[in-house]
Amino acid sequence: MNTLAVAWKDLQMLLKDRGQILLLFLVPIGFILAFSAVFAAGQQIEEQVIVVPVVNLDPHGEMSGLLLQDLNDDRGLRTQDYDQAQAEAGLKDEKIKLALIIPAGFSADVRAGAPTTLRLIYGPAASDSEVQAVRLVVAGVAADLSLQTQLVGGLSQMAAMMGDAPPDVQVFTSERIKVQAETQFERAKSTPLVALSARWPDQITQGREDFSPSTFGIAGFAIMFAFLTAQATATSIFDEKKEGTFRRLLAAPLGKWELLAGKMLPNFVIAVLQMVVIVAASLVLLPLIGQDAPSLGNSPLGLMLIAILVALCSTSLGILLAAICRTESQVGGVSSVFLWVAGMVGGAFIPAFVLGDFLNTIGKVVPHYWALQAYNNLTIRGLGLAGILPELAVLAGFTAAFSVVGLLRFKFD
Amino acid sequence: MSEPILIAQDLRKSFGDREAVKGISLQVARGEVFGLLGPNGAGKTTTISMLTALLEPSSGKIMVNGLDLKAHTNQVKAQMGLVPQEMALYTTLSARQNLMFFGRIYGLRGKELRQRVDEALRMIGLIERADDPVSAYSGGMKRRVNIAAGLLHKPQILFLDEPTVGVDPQSRNAIFENVEALNRAGMTVIYTTHYMEEAQRLCHRVAIVDEGRIIALDTPAALIRSLGGGVVMLGVADAAPENLTERLSQVPSVKSVTRSDGLLKIETQRLQEALMGALDLTNQLDVRITSLEILEPNLESVFLHLTGKKLRQ
Repeated sequence: MNTLAVAWKDLQMLLKDRGQILLLFLVPIGFILAFSAVFAAGQQIEEQVIVVPVVNLDPHGEMSGLLLQDLNDDRGLRTQDYDQAQAEAGLKDEKIKLALIIPAGFSADVRAGAPTTLRLIYGPAASDSEVQAVRLVVAGVAADLSLQTQLVGGLSQMAAMMGDAPPDVQVFTSERIKVQAETQFERAKSTPLVALSARWPDQITQGREDFSPSTFGIAGFAIMFAFLTAQATATSIFDEKKEGTFRRLLAAPLGKWELLAGKMLPNFVIAVLQMVVIVAASLVLLPLIGQDAPSLGNSPLGLMLIAILVALCSTSLGILLAAICRTESQVGGVSSVFLWVAGMVGGAFIPAFVLGDFLNTIGKVVPHYWALQAYNNLTIRGLGLAGILPELAVLAGFTAAFSVVGLLRFKFD
Repeated sequence: MSEPILIAQDLRKSFGDREAVKGISLQVARGEVFGLLGPNGAGKTTTISMLTALLEPSSGKIMVNGLDLKAHTNQVKAQMGLVPQEMALYTTLSARQNLMFFGRIYGLRGKELRQRVDEALRMIGLIERADDPVSAYSGGMKRRVNIAAGLLHKPQILFLDEPTVGVDPQSRNAIFENVEALNRAGMTVIYTTHYMEEAQRLCHRVAIVDEGRIIALDTPAALIRSLGGGVVMLGVADAAPENLTERLSQVPSVKSVTRSDGLLKIETQRLQEALMGALDLTNQLDVRITSLEILEPNLESVFLHLTGKKLRQ
């Protein structure tokens, strides 16, 4: 009961501290909204198509028409017709960055199987990545077109050679072969035999596979801020020591462990509550700014266990900080450096795999990493409770280690 | 002395190489106001900390109400109240919230808790401002709440550690009156201070503590009586005759004379008569006086007499 009395007193004090409430609940939500807004802007940039000025010197050709049609077919490019003089002036004045020149007689040459060259001209304003992207797309489309034309041409020749055979032997006419080949090419384009699926590394081929940056961002910030409450636990103990109330409590018929449990309980409750509020607020607020609502996965029990273990781990880390720091300013300094750096290398701001092998390995020594892995496995990769048990076990191990070392080193007087 | 409620035997406490308390033994009678008087750093707070189970003695034994403190710590703690030297309160909470919390810690609940808190707030004269945050109170008001927080569970022994430090005269008087009222109601009070007037006014017996030891323990009146009519500290030039000490001890009303480095300490039975006689004698012998200090008989001069130091050094 005394533990609850100490915990209730700390919660009463927290409720009177508006600044602290702001820091605990509104700041993380603000971070998430800002992160999501930045991400949304990034997505818009990524979705922008590159406008490619085209000087078509073969304006009525069938092949040049097919080429332009393919280039505009959802490949991230949009062609825009220019005449040659306009394009040259535009490049000179840097009003356009590049131009694609389709030579005169392009269709005839392709049909005849004669070599021909598309020219991509770019000025100093064009970025390397832009030129490279356009070059790859145009080269790919041109290669497809050449291959298709050459194959259809070859098959037509073979059909023509069979033209002298008796009609009952001619199963496939030249027209039928040509139509069949063109149909196959169309099908190959729309439903390729070999497809390329681009995925984030670490993704698992079970359940939900879409990587959701908003879900990732929420997990990162929720866990990051939950661990920041460790500093609040340590500071609260130092405040009590500084004000003399800790001494007064030790003079009361209150066990030392009851007292420490009372100091840990409110921060545990706050950390859990903070994570719940962050996720709930994100579910409501993110769709309002045009972002997807975060995924919560398929295991509410798993989510609850992550929140409880993160809160326990953070609170026991607070006791460890209070035990190893000698002054309140040391608590501030050590906590700030450790908790923010741990958040960073643990992948709270940037996914761990993006950090590179070295930092990714270092990240494994902080609890943030395991908490994020568990959360992402549950919400992004679609695993169930059984799938996150190893991560939960590591988090429990961190909690036990922080508690044992913290309690052994804790100075009551 | 009536039955002792608290017995401390040969308490010692060391911090590293430094021995802060060097074998303190005392007995406090039930219903007594017992003072621990000494300068800052004398070992009073360390002693109180051991008596209230905040610090474990390096050696020695403490019995409270017949119970060994070490063996029955929580049972004994429940019978004691501590008002620490610091303002040990939660300043963002109101006086009522503070008192409710400290009451709960001592096991009070529900209606009884609310009644005790109201009683305490009335006693310290803060019932009207009970719901204001403590941070809005004056130093004296905070001191009173600090005391009330130690009283809620009606302890049998109340430890007051320098309760008047930094308090205005009005609040100081209010604190004295509270202590006297509590003692009249039967509470045993152990009071540490370095203000001799407080010890003299409040305490039935006083232990004078210096450098971790009790150097005198008696009623204030007996301690003052031990000083006789007062002490004259007379500084004389080095050329003063060797037999000056002997001649001075023959002066009427002089109890004893000791000489050290040109300073004569003259203990008297009647201060004025002894002083006049001593000055006449030095005049006759043509001894040059370099300094003169008169110690009126009070606890301050008892301390100075015993230690050669002032209480507030």
